Amino acid sequence: MCRNAIFILIILITSCTNPPQLHDAPFNIRVPGDFPAIVFPEGNEPTQLRVLLGRKLFYDKRLSAEKTMSCGTCHVASAAFTDGKKVNSGMHNLELKRNSPTLANMAWSPYFMMEGGVPTLELQALAPLHNSHEMGMNMMPAINVLNEDDALRELAKAAYGRDSIDPFVVTRSLAAFQRTFVSGDSRFDRHQLGLKNQLNEEELAGMNLFFSEKTQCSSCHAGELFTDFGIYNIGLYEVYEDVGLERKTHKTTDAGKFKTPTLRNIDLTAPYMHDGSMNSLEDVIELYNTGGKTHPNKDERMHPLNLTPEEKAQLLAFLKTLTDYNFVQNAMFLPLEE
Amino acid sequence: MKKSVVFLSLAIFSLLLASCDPKEPEEVKPAVLTVNIDSKWGSDPFEVQQVYTDSYGNRVRVDNFQSYISMLTLIKNDGSEVLLKDFHLQNFMDATTLTFEAPVGVYTGVRFGVGVPATYNQHEDPAQYPSSHPLSVAGSQGMFWTWNTGYIFTKFEGKADTTGTEGADLLHNFTFHTGDTDGYSEFVSTSENIELKAGVTTAIGINFHVDQIFGSGPEGIDVSSDFNTSGATVLGLKFVGRLDDSITID
Repeated sequence: MCRNAIFILIILITSCTNPPQLHDAPFNIRVPGDFPAIVFPEGNEPTQLRVLLGRKLFYDKRLSAEKTMSCGTCHVASAAFTDGKKVNSGMHNLELKRNSPTLANMAWSPYFMMEGGVPTLELQALAPLHNSHEMGMNMMPAINVLNEDDALRELAKAAYGRDSIDPFVVTRSLAAFQRTFVSGDSRFDRHQLGLKNQLNEEELAGMNLFFSEKTQCSSCHAGELFTDFGIYNIGLYEVYEDVGLERKTHKTTDAGKFKTPTLRNIDLTAPYMHDGSMNSLEDVIELYNTGGKTHPNKDERMHPLNLTPEEKAQLLAFLKTLTDYNFVQNAMFLPLEE
Repeated sequence: MKKSVVFLSLAIFSLLLASCDPKEPEEVKPAVLTVNIDSKWGSDPFEVQQVYTDSYGNRVRVDNFQSYISMLTLIKNDGSEVLLKDFHLQNFMDATTLTFEAPVGVYTGVRFGVGVPATYNQHEDPAQYPSSHPLSVAGSQGMFWTWNTGYIFTKFEGKADTTGTEGADLLHNFTFHTGDTDGYSEFVSTSENIELKAGVTTAIGINFHVDQIFGSGPEGIDVSSDFNTSGATVLGLKFVGRLDDSITID
């Protein structure tokens, strides 16, 4: 009896002093067959613990200066990681300039932000964290708070082998989690794989229009990712309040140019355009049908398409086939239940 | 036993010989150099958050003035160079004195960059540096862009009254954020006479003359019309030139 009590005491003391060892293992991201392979940055290959840490931090409101916002506030999984708002509203409910972009298939993006100024997903994480209107001004106070969380700190140590949570760990783990946001299982994808009865007549007609010389939609919304990552002026305005690429290059010939967004899950990511100025896909199709407004920088491919009402309806129907319901309902992308 | 005694004796003898080695070099004390980085308005110390009147009649108050000083280097009279410090973020809220040990000799020049050289600026990730490093997230104190890649080389921000009305509030903001490859400037002075002697502390000063940053006439910066820039714009590069020209060594 006495011997058992001593044994239990030893177990209790041991369990109090030694936190459970965290073992890591590679995290396998399932890449759709026709997608290119993901090239991971050196030192941030995905592992179970890195993705887990990123998932926790993505939904952790302690990362905002007033502890009211997380990444997941503006990037909601059910809306393909957008938020349904015209433009982003930060900590103080100020209307910012830009619409929250989808985070689908970020693993393949060669650069980030709408003028393409940020070269890696790791660096991109600094943008909202350090924006005074979005989540704060400086991530260091938030990091100090996170380091008071013993379990999170131990997870960070095990994931990245560093002494504590620091900007390296935060930016790397957020990127590791976001690279798991792979979307390639829409009805269109299944049709492409040869599965029967995925698209109806109207959707098939819309698909043919989309990939046709007449519309040239696929010249920019190209490939498996439905974007060429090019930066263009599509004639949304005659005068742009947000100058887009010009902000980066300081060239007026770049005014009004913004990165081509992916069209995957487009039916779930309204409103549209860099500033969320279009509420519906019908409005967007009409912009392209008219060829956009006059602007010296407008891409030459923007010209009137003279689509019939039937053709516009077909294009709309096709765009809706790009929704990947398994993606937006993936439980692995949701906050962990603590 | 006998062998052990002989071996021990030899060992002690060797040690004694070694301790008497007359060739042991004497310790050479390095020279000490202090570099005081400060700002001035005319010949007076410049104070951030004080109101001054520039040559255009604008009443200006600089609220934030920070610059990266890179690759601070001494140029010796034989043409060789001694790198003193790779990066320093100067906040002109206060003067800063940096202290270095340097080889003795006569130095005729000082070289440093204002900003961050391209090799450290393009596609660099502040999160890769330890917190104590001037280029880290913590150490840079927000001196990097997040919507774009790269460091902000100089932040020069404040408010002004451009109406010329006595006692009017300073309602006019001015913001100069420089950066990008073209926004990096190198200051080189080759007419110095800095003699560093062993064990002796020598002081030099690097001064940024804020009144000369504003300047005068068409070559200067009148914040009533030129008050906002970010990156290597035409105005940004003009500011970089004025900042570079405002530097003196004493």
